[in-house]
Amino acid sequence: MISTSTRYALRSLRRNLRRTALSVVGLGIGVGIALFALSWVRGLERMSVEAAAGGGLGHLRVAPAGWLEQHDEALRLTEWEDTLEATRALPWVEVATPRANVGGLLGLGTRTAHVVLTGVDASTEPQLFRYLRGLSEGRYLEPGERGAIVLGRANATRLRANVGDELVATVVSASGELESAIVTVVGIIDTGSRTIDQSIAHVALEDVAQLSGREGAGEITILARELGTDPEAVEPMRRELAAVVGEGNQALSWLELVPDLRAKIDGSYRSSRIATTIILLVVLFGVASAQLTSVLERRKEFAVLAAIGIRARTLVRIVVTESLFLGLVSGLLAIAWAMPLLAHLERVGLDLRAAFQGEEGMAFAGVLLDPVFRPQAGPWLVPTALALSLVATMLASLYPAWFASRTDPANALRVDR
Amino acid sequence: MNTEAQPTTTAKPPAVATDVVKTFRTGDMEVNALAGLTLEVRRGDFLALVGPSGSGKTTLLNLFGALDRPTKGKVEVLGNDLGAMSKSERARLRLTSLGFVFQAYNLVPVLTAAENVELILELQGMGAAERRKRALDVLGDLGLGELAARRPMELSGGQQQRVAVARAVASRPALVLADEPTANLDGKNAEQLMALMRRLSSDHGTTFVFSTHDPRVIAHASRVVTLEDGKIASDETH
Repeated sequence: MISTSTRYALRSLRRNLRRTALSVVGLGIGVGIALFALSWVRGLERMSVEAAAGGGLGHLRVAPAGWLEQHDEALRLTEWEDTLEATRALPWVEVATPRANVGGLLGLGTRTAHVVLTGVDASTEPQLFRYLRGLSEGRYLEPGERGAIVLGRANATRLRANVGDELVATVVSASGELESAIVTVVGIIDTGSRTIDQSIAHVALEDVAQLSGREGAGEITILARELGTDPEAVEPMRRELAAVVGEGNQALSWLELVPDLRAKIDGSYRSSRIATTIILLVVLFGVASAQLTSVLERRKEFAVLAAIGIRARTLVRIVVTESLFLGLVSGLLAIAWAMPLLAHLERVGLDLRAAFQGEEGMAFAGVLLDPVFRPQAGPWLVPTALALSLVATMLASLYPAWFASRTDPANALRVDR
Repeated sequence: MNTEAQPTTTAKPPAVATDVVKTFRTGDMEVNALAGLTLEVRRGDFLALVGPSGSGKTTLLNLFGALDRPTKGKVEVLGNDLGAMSKSERARLRLTSLGFVFQAYNLVPVLTAAENVELILELQGMGAAERRKRALDVLGDLGLGELAARRPMELSGGQQQRVAVARAVASRPALVLADEPTANLDGKNAEQLMALMRRLSSDHGTTFVFSTHDPRVIAHASRVVTLEDGKIASDETH
């Protein structure tokens, strides 16, 4: 059964319905905007992780020991086939594909382009390499196909190469000799980002081995199932992977592979927290002001309550109860308007292409972000909205509650004339 | 469990003021509202405090009501020395042992008549069913049974003041203090209220101390203490 003092607190909110309604609407809008900010950053985080993973980085990577420090393309995995098999056996691995890189020169007639040739396993690479959606001409490599190359648009333009053209690929091999091979352009990928396009020059893994004189794979790139959006969620997987990669190899997560992206996400989080805090502070002061006015209007009443023996802490509880009820209703209001809107935006997405029409498109730190941005909605919005709202109103009530607790009971006997 | 020291309510006099001085400071000026006043309120008194405005009636009620502390001298309420009590202990004393009736009724407007009465009982820790029954019994006793579910604004001035009396006596306090309880009532309602308070005093042995200017009210008092300039000018038992 609801206590009389709680009933008093709740009914007091009805004394000035307009003020109560304005407080609820103000706080509801503020909390809703805060939900937008948080949802936006979580969407950005998810988009970044997906973009990094699907753009070829993967969620995780098996690399030769020392690779992170040296970034040396010449390094190769030890026992790479066994490592690949052990990696694929992990239950959360969706796809694991081997790669090997070698720097070189592509030539067509008198035109040349410096590229990093990426040797891939064409049977598994398409499952990971999202940029294949940007294949504008020709096709991708076929499993077992040798002597073929898929180029990024920037390289193709520089070489004025078209599908079917034969290019001369020249690299410095492990023995220090120049090695050349003819590769035929079978496809051109247009990602929308010049930097990303320049990084695409896919050939068969075996072609890289033949040209570079280094057998095997330089990395195994892994896409994980159901990773979620928490950047730290990848860490337990990395530890599990580290246990199977064998001596001479190391397990790396995308957090280590693209620290700039991680820094960007962290920066976005900080910005959203600051924005959320500012929004809530503004609303909080508004609610505090309304609550204080309400307490001031009831000074005489509080004095009477204090005179008849209500203790200071009960007066505090009454004011805090009023505020918490405001917070509850405001939180529900924020959920009511912001959640469906965010769910809708998540479903349809926000097409940001118009805002990123430069030659770099939406590339950042070597990762091409999806131009259709989707904030992240979901059930997490409910507890977040209620927590924000209740904490804000609780804080907003502290000063008015303290003020009420200091009511002089002797004022009860003073007559207002 | 409440571990706070409980105020005593033994067979000592309900209220005793000994050489009490109460000084208020207004800017650079000091005003002695009470100037060495000594008064013992006896058990069962139906005591009227009379005197001109500024004579110290409300100040004395504040002290007997444990709402304030004397500047000098000693005030004991139900055997408790106010000077030695904390704010919280005084609040506890008010809650458990004192009742108040205010000039302007001062009911909580958002609560019904019954809830106004129940509020005190709830704060005393009485269970929901028991306090509801007690509230309705007291309101019924004061002729307000039919109005228990009404809010103060739905009641007349006389009815509101009777609810205020019900609130003051529901917890069966040893001492009820009333500040000009009839000041806002017409003659008929004032007479009814005083008769009611007198009946409660004689039925339950409750001590009443009230301030008033109204001669019709003074006529009901068993003892009339006249204050002038913060001192007792006369103390008459009728």
